[in-house]
Amino acid sequence: MTGKAPERIGARTTLQKLLSRFHFGITLFAVALSGLTILLAGVTALRGYADRNMELAAQLGAYGVEPALVFNDPQAAREGLEPLTRIPGIARLRVLDDRGQPLTQWASPMADPAPLLTRMFFPRPFAVTVERNGSAIGTIEVWGDSSTLIDYVRIGLLAGLGCLLITALGTIFLARRFEYELVKPLNEIATVAHDVRLHRRFDKRVQPLGIAELDRLGGDINALLDELQGWQGHMESERAMLAHRASHDTLTAMPNRDAFDEQLALRIAAADARGSRLALLFIDADNFKAANDNFGHAAGDAVLVALSACIKETLRESDFAARIGGDEFIVIVDPIDVETAANDLANRIRACVAQPVALPGGETYRASVSVGAALYPDDGDDATALLTAADAAMYADKLTNRSRV
Amino acid sequence: MLASLFLIGASLTTPQMSVQAASQTVVEDSDDGMARAVGRMVGGIVSYARWPDGSVESARVMCVVGTPRLTDRMAPDVPGAGSVLVRRLSVAAVTSRDDCDVLFLGRMAIADRRQLIAWVRGRAILTITDDDAACIFGAMFCLSSRAASLSFSVNLDAIGRGPLRIDPRVLNIARGDGGAS
Repeated sequence: MTGKAPERIGARTTLQKLLSRFHFGITLFAVALSGLTILLAGVTALRGYADRNMELAAQLGAYGVEPALVFNDPQAAREGLEPLTRIPGIARLRVLDDRGQPLTQWASPMADPAPLLTRMFFPRPFAVTVERNGSAIGTIEVWGDSSTLIDYVRIGLLAGLGCLLITALGTIFLARRFEYELVKPLNEIATVAHDVRLHRRFDKRVQPLGIAELDRLGGDINALLDELQGWQGHMESERAMLAHRASHDTLTAMPNRDAFDEQLALRIAAADARGSRLALLFIDADNFKAANDNFGHAAGDAVLVALSACIKETLRESDFAARIGGDEFIVIVDPIDVETAANDLANRIRACVAQPVALPGGETYRASVSVGAALYPDDGDDATALLTAADAAMYADKLTNRSRV
Repeated sequence: MLASLFLIGASLTTPQMSVQAASQTVVEDSDDGMARAVGRMVGGIVSYARWPDGSVESARVMCVVGTPRLTDRMAPDVPGAGSVLVRRLSVAAVTSRDDCDVLFLGRMAIADRRQLIAWVRGRAILTITDDDAACIFGAMFCLSSRAASLSFSVNLDAIGRGPLRIDPRVLNIARGDGGAS
């Protein structure tokens, strides 16, 4: 199985190679077809011309040897044939009298350069009957040879080969161009898809490619990417919401106990590093259980929301507040400085909370809180100790408040 | 070098000899071989002659005067359509009539021959002789026999004087090897 995998990859081919092979095949076929057609047409035309040439030569010979035949004069016949012997491409001449007896004959001293060509073009001699006043007085026979054809055929073959080469090169060039034009936009689409998959670049889009079919493909891919981008955005906001929900209290929208523990550890480490101090305020609503029981849970919730609003208002930007229990809030005052003493903050929260709260039932309620402060590192040198100290301080404050009531 | 050039120039500008060398016709080796060869030759010559009346008459009249040397059976063989009627006449008979198209001069008195040649001048009559191998006595065509062959020569002056037109190919044949280059 594993041994087969690379083989399959090796057998796979690129589009460019496929197109190239296809184009080469078509080009070869077209060139061969046209070449064959031209060759056949050329041979036919050449044969026609050669035949005409031989026929003309025979006619000329017939005119020349006519008196010689009339006077039965071999010498004159030879002289009558003389002009023909100077025409290239004639291998043999023969003059027969009216009884079929040869009067004279002549054979070219030159050897036939291509007997095959001769056999193909001049399989038999051209015979023309010599007539005098309407009656046959003899026959002249002309055998052609390939000496005139050979040059023609050679040049024709060379030219044909040259044309074939030029055609092949031109077609290959055009095919390459076509392949490039087609493969380039496909590569572009592939690049976009690759980028999106590997780098999550959902903002990438396929540019217009100028080929209708590929543009349609690109448009579909772009639409798909639009959807993906939408989903991605939706998913990210959903995740942020879930993360917020995990670390925040849904009622007051304040960070919860988990978020506070994390934050406190971070801030203590930071304060250690800086050598500075920070303060914790432990805030607990007084008699909250009673309010819950008397006015109902909706009223309790309203009191808690009002309480959290007071805490948020009082805090500075750098401070951190969290709801860590039913009616327990905690504030990290960090950094602390001379102007913002922890007690000062506590008093401001108390003052804010003292404002009457409108309950859903129409009644008003005046809440009060107990606040305990602890300083790091003075009251505890770790989170737990600090929290315990703040809790104890709050409890002490609550006792004081009760005794005051 | 200069001399040779002059010679070539001279040979090119030399006027054609008025009497052409003979052509050779094969004579078959049989009893009437010579008669047939002569008939064929005379017929051939007649077929290449054009009379000024322009008509392609099928029959021409050949008047034979004197005694032919080559054959006594004079039967011209005209190739294709056409024939020659042969009449044997005396010198006086020939000059008194005007239907002779061809005049064949056999062996005769020199005075007679001279008279006939003079009479023919200006008339459309083809003259053939077999008694003048050198072809210098004024007949247009002169037949002669050498060994086993028959030949004819042409007297261009005689042809040029008369109104008859002779196919130049015949003159070419008669020119033979001895013709001007």
